[in-house]
Amino acid sequence: MKLIFTKKAALVGLAMTLVISLSGCGGDGEVAPEPTAPPVSTEPTPEPAPASEPAPTAAASSEKPLTIAYSDWPGWVAWEIAIKKKWFEEEGVNVEFLWFDYVASMDAYVAGKVDAVCMTNGDALVTGATGKPSVGILVNDYSNGNDMVIAAPGIDSIEGLKGKKVGVEEGFVGHLLLLTGLQSKGLTAGDVEIVNTPTSETPQVLKSGAVSAICAWQPNSGQALKAVDGSSAVFTSADAPGIIYDLLYVDGANLTENREKWAKVVKVWYRVVDFLKNEDNVDEALGILAERVSVKPEEYEPFLEGTYILSLEEAMKVWEKTDGLGSVYGSSKVVDKFNVDYQVYEKPLAIDGYFDPSLTEALIKK
Amino acid sequence: MRSPKESWFAISRQLSPGRAAVLTAWSFLLPLSIWCVVSYVPFIWHPDVKLEVGSTGATVYTAGDHVGKDYFPTLLAGARDENAGIAEAAAAGEPIKGSSRDNVKLLRMVLPIAISNGVLTPADDTNDAAIYGVWRRLATGDLVMSSPALSEENLSVIRDNWAIMSAISETYDKSALEKQKLLSLIPQGKPANPVYLPAPHEVLIQGYKSWTEEPAEGRSSMGERLRSSIIVVFGGFLLAALVSLPLGIVAGSYDFFSKLTEPFLDFFRYMPAPSFATLLVAIFGAHQSPKLALVFIGTLPHLCLMITKTTRMLDPSLLEAAQTLGSKRFHLLRKVVVPGIVPAVYNDLRIALGWAWTWLVIAELIGVKSGLTEVIDTQGTRRNFDQVFPVIFLIGIIGFATDQFLAWLRPKLFRWTEPKAPGLMGRWFGGVQNWFEPVLVAYRKG
Repeated sequence: MKLIFTKKAALVGLAMTLVISLSGCGGDGEVAPEPTAPPVSTEPTPEPAPASEPAPTAAASSEKPLTIAYSDWPGWVAWEIAIKKKWFEEEGVNVEFLWFDYVASMDAYVAGKVDAVCMTNGDALVTGATGKPSVGILVNDYSNGNDMVIAAPGIDSIEGLKGKKVGVEEGFVGHLLLLTGLQSKGLTAGDVEIVNTPTSETPQVLKSGAVSAICAWQPNSGQALKAVDGSSAVFTSADAPGIIYDLLYVDGANLTENREKWAKVVKVWYRVVDFLKNEDNVDEALGILAERVSVKPEEYEPFLEGTYILSLEEAMKVWEKTDGLGSVYGSSKVVDKFNVDYQVYEKPLAIDGYFDPSLTEALIKK
Repeated sequence: MRSPKESWFAISRQLSPGRAAVLTAWSFLLPLSIWCVVSYVPFIWHPDVKLEVGSTGATVYTAGDHVGKDYFPTLLAGARDENAGIAEAAAAGEPIKGSSRDNVKLLRMVLPIAISNGVLTPADDTNDAAIYGVWRRLATGDLVMSSPALSEENLSVIRDNWAIMSAISETYDKSALEKQKLLSLIPQGKPANPVYLPAPHEVLIQGYKSWTEEPAEGRSSMGERLRSSIIVVFGGFLLAALVSLPLGIVAGSYDFFSKLTEPFLDFFRYMPAPSFATLLVAIFGAHQSPKLALVFIGTLPHLCLMITKTTRMLDPSLLEAAQTLGSKRFHLLRKVVVPGIVPAVYNDLRIALGWAWTWLVIAELIGVKSGLTEVIDTQGTRRNFDQVFPVIFLIGIIGFATDQFLAWLRPKLFRWTEPKAPGLMGRWFGGVQNWFEPVLVAYRKG
């Protein structure tokens, strides 16, 4: 006797599987955007049954979490320390961090799928002009060498790139760095040929020989240097300090509505800064950061030097409204002009609207 | 003996099941043996050096990293030059002052070799006191590394450093390490193939490790990833099937529906599904739903058109006969068309499921990267291909096993179609079923 499979049974099976799979993807609409994301999680594994949500702290359990998109820049990966150490729970604020590729994180913000996103000051302007404006509420760091233009072996200066192909994510921070570098040597955008390349793919693209140079930040730039023996950084953000600030940008409406919660997020950040600034914590911090981006801790260590994390006092200086690259306002002004000159967007933006230092200021007044 | 033996190469003749099984096994063994030969015969290829001792500096090379054979001497020269400078300063009586962190990093360079020799464990990675002890034992000859061994050059570096270190402190004392900059170990390594072609045993070991390792807090285990990927593939596929089945059947039966749907689907299928990625994230959010949707729109138009075509190929004489006997419209559809095409449609679905798997790796990259693809993507970018291959193989095995299972299931579902000899996996499934047979019979009786 053999197993009997009737068509009816097959149909019922099909229908049941469908119901299960449908319930797995259901609930992604406007009401509850994420199926079962734990309150603070980097890796939401959506599960078919939305019942298994672990209860966050009592105060925050019923509230919708603030959602923040972050990506592999060391200054943002540092949030991981607060996540791992459950400092948001301790502060009583329900935050969900979502891990993206950098450009994808900005796309998600523009699409309204997250409340806040970690961006550079320049890219916030680009995202604002072409998609959706945002308000920077905290400055994580400035890039101090981690953003690099890396040239293939045999090219040892940025002038050497003349007439060559360069792999870069068009219109974003790497592009800005490249153009700044070219300009510093009297060259222009027309002197190189841009090949639009996602930053996470740049190591492979340089290795393939399809381009003569790439623009990337750590950990991708380090990977590129290792992937291509004899390649070197011909221009880095350390050559133009203050051209790239890294911030947390929040949707304006959400900020107005949840001001107090965001103030708590800012407070948690400065706990992270204190932790990082203490030399005894280096090994622990490296372990957490390196794990997030799948790099070995000893490889990650130089990245911390290329990202200058700003202490609260240093951040207050950066928040001062002055010209020049020492201020986040001044830096953004430079970048804004740059973006207009190179037709990333058409008209200069009202930069002041992109910043709200008050949450950081409130901390220092306490 | 001249028994008339069947030739292995008879044109258009099926081989005996035994021979077929032998060849099926070889179809897997051949590529596998090529892989082994390239990996394990030392004089074939091996253009890289796989480091056992890394190097510090602006670009940190760790043990396990690969550098090109041509570049390796440059790396060596860099480390030797630096050491020469340090030694010179010390000989001149003005040793360079060190930073304790740099010296700690330097001491830890011995860690990977100590781990592979079983002297320390991976958990000792920041246990500087233990590492200090290893230096002492190496310098005094108390400890000799063998798998791999330290080069003579590195042993002499260790002895020179220990002379400095022991003068400062016999045991680990972080603040005392500041006194003098230590010499750096010199990179050493073995010939290896490029990172993108790890040896079979490396893939096996790493595959086992990633499956058994506890994931870091908040990250998914491989089991969870597999489940998430399967939901995307089967969810997207079943949704596509749910829409395609009725649509394809009516379009294949009535010209009205055919003209109403087919031209658009024909147009739509030429638009690459991944180009909708950003749009799908905007509509469905960043988690699983846009991924399911991508598999859905990637599979739907093809499947729909295939089912339409299959429906059209139904033997017209069946329809004529039924009409002659007075069958009408829905009755005709339900009692003649559907049963007539179901076996062929089943095959269409099998093919479409294969497509769903190919869409998976694109789908899981949109929004928040997830599932098995995240491993392929992240570890691939970090050039850890020994972690990528197990995942690729896993996808292959699941896809293959599912297909073989469905192929085996087909004659059970559609007994009226002609029987076909089952494949290797089909026989295996058959074997499993036979084994369970007495249990099932007992169960039904009970």
